[in-house]
Amino acid sequence: MTAKPHRLLLDRVSSYADEAAAYIRRRRHLRKPFARTYYPGGRSAAFAADSEEGRALFLAASRLIEVAGPPRRVRSAK
Amino acid sequence: MPQTMTTVSQELCSRVTLAILADVSPVAAPTLSDAGRAVSYLEEISPEMRGCAIFSLEGEVLAASGDDDRWGEAGRDLLAAADAAGGEPVAHAHVATGDGEAFCVRESGLTAVAVTERFTLASLMLFDMRITLRQLAAAGAGSE
Repeated sequence: MTAKPHRLLLDRVSSYADEAAAYIRRRRHLRKPFARTYYPGGRSAAFAADSEEGRALFLAASRLIEVAGPPRRVRSAK
Repeated sequence: MPQTMTTVSQELCSRVTLAILADVSPVAAPTLSDAGRAVSYLEEISPEMRGCAIFSLEGEVLAASGDDDRWGEAGRDLLAAADAAGGEPVAHAHVATGDGEAFCVRESGLTAVAVTERFTLASLMLFDMRITLRQLAAAGAGSE
């Protein structure tokens, strides 16, 4: 039996919504704070924020970010 | 006949193009002879960058976007933390936080640290930093 046209439309819309939700989920996951180091030869390592190395990296990065000052868009706002 | 016309017009076009190109002076990539210019160059080509500093092999600040001492201290801390994390000197490191992102790159005996806005394109940032350091090193900066 052929599906009714409105059913097709609903399916299409909900599949787009599912795609968008998955994209947002992936994006949020990828945008989590991270600390990665890369070595000559191509080796790399990632450090979780709750590890000792990760804590030291995040702390040092935060200090550097503080030295650089606030984001440009905030600085230029009046 | 139409084909002959096309050939003639193409020849004319290539001659005109050559004549135009002969008048245009060659545009060379900027030569970065000192670290101060390198910092300005990085600031110019990286709109998402908030600031950066360049260090010599010995860890001395050659130039920075702001206060040399503050950049020097914070930059050396980041490098030390990155080196200590994996137990060997890093080629580059990238730390992303909620307030911004910090990068450090070692290239040709020089080191650069930079802070950018969040979600910046890391590969582009690292490429710009690496190329800048390479040019600086080629000009002999930090070796005297």
